[in-house]
Amino acid sequence: MDKFANVGWPEMLLMAGVGFLMVFTVLVLLIFVMKGMGWVFTRQKKAAKVATKGAAAADEHEAITNQEIAAAIITALKLYKSNLHDQESEMITIHRIARAYSPWSSKIHGLTQLPERK
Amino acid sequence: MISLLQSNFILESLADFATTSGFGAFFAPGGWKFAVMIALACFLLYLAIKKQFEPLLLLPIAFGMLLTNLPGAEMFHSELFAGGHVHWDIFVDNAGLIDYLYLGVKLGIYPCLIFVGVGAMTDFGPLIANPKSFLLGAAAQLGIFATFLGAYVLGFAPNECGSIGIIGGADGPTSIFLTARLAPELLGPIAIAAYSYMALVPVIQPPIMKALTTKKERMIKMSQLRQVSKTEKIIFPVIITIIISLLLPSAAPLVGCLMLGNLMKECGVVDRLSKTVQNELMNIVVIFLGISVGATATADSFLNFKTLGILVLGIVAFSCGTAGGLLLAKFMNLFLPEGKKINPLIGSAGVSAVPMAARVSQTVGQKENPSNFLLMHAMGPNVAGVVGSAVAAGILLAFLS
Repeated sequence: MDKFANVGWPEMLLMAGVGFLMVFTVLVLLIFVMKGMGWVFTRQKKAAKVATKGAAAADEHEAITNQEIAAAIITALKLYKSNLHDQESEMITIHRIARAYSPWSSKIHGLTQLPERK
Repeated sequence: MISLLQSNFILESLADFATTSGFGAFFAPGGWKFAVMIALACFLLYLAIKKQFEPLLLLPIAFGMLLTNLPGAEMFHSELFAGGHVHWDIFVDNAGLIDYLYLGVKLGIYPCLIFVGVGAMTDFGPLIANPKSFLLGAAAQLGIFATFLGAYVLGFAPNECGSIGIIGGADGPTSIFLTARLAPELLGPIAIAAYSYMALVPVIQPPIMKALTTKKERMIKMSQLRQVSKTEKIIFPVIITIIISLLLPSAAPLVGCLMLGNLMKECGVVDRLSKTVQNELMNIVVIFLGISVGATATADSFLNFKTLGILVLGIVAFSCGTAGGLLLAKFMNLFLPEGKKINPLIGSAGVSAVPMAARVSQTVGQKENPSNFLLMHAMGPNVAGVVGSAVAAGILLAFLS
């Protein structure tokens, strides 16, 4: 190729060296950009965490108070219910006798049944 | 009837048929080359099917190679692309199916479309969490520039050296993209070398990793990576595209497509597009790319000492890339405090080959310390290597085109 007629070892070495250096430079630049981005996001996350921590403490206090109220209500209900009896009919008369069908006591399936004659 | 049989017409016709048939071409001068290429294509098919060496690409490449070397079939016309550019004046009249498919390679369309799919399948989270990985990805590009010089030693022209060197990037689409522009006549051997060696990463890398690291270094446990927010993952592809495209416009097609695919995945609002580029589009392009790249491996362009040189240089490129990543990781450890040291094994993953190189780091690391999980740490340099090899390709393109 004519274009490369004047290319010799010095040019090749320079191309390889500069090329490798450029790859490094571009990727190192990306490291700084990504580090910067990471710093911004971790900072935001930390700030959000601190905010959440404050809110969480308040929530916790509220939760404890709520739990105490709930416990008091539950105890009151328990005491109230323990004084109550089930309402009963107070009738002891047997109204109805029902004999449930069972094949064990069935006369149709009894052993005395004769075989069919053909 | 008798006179018809006695005439030479039938015999001559049969003789003509025999000589013009594909079988006849095997016995013509130089016909043995076709037989060798067909045997080679069958061997590559065996490697793809039986040994599963990157079968998704090696299989269509091998079949394209088979098609192009069937004498008389004339599926691919290299003269339409002679001199490194498309001869549009004679293209429509002479082109066959594979010639039309090859336009996608020649015009740099397929590698970029594949990069959209690769981007949509890649998680840049480990790289965002640990940006130092970019350094390891850069160091592993040593293979590209060392092989660039190695190829010059063997007598290749500078543009060919660039195409051969990029094999060290261990990135198929990048190799094809650059070679189609710098040295299209070497596309077949370079694509085959790149994909074959990528499949051989688990064989090539471990001995180098063990030779360059001590047992103590291989046992280093790394601290857990920080969690990366969704917003960071969305901003990352946009920032990378802007910075790299402004710095290196020649790398913009590859990096831009890679980041477009990644943005589709991370933004979460175009799931349909993301799934399409990961699956349907990628698969279709792989078929076209494989067949057309394989078709460039004609007997004349493949059976020569250049191919042998490329195969040798390819393995040199992979080895130097692996060593570059490992050595930089060791060097970085000299300055890092105890507890923040990095396991040098993750440096070898800088040679792209996603995710196989990262898996090799994990496997070698676990052999020394079964409770060590390096996979996520190795994914950082691994995806940094993809960006790094695209940048290196852009630099070589800017220098040599």
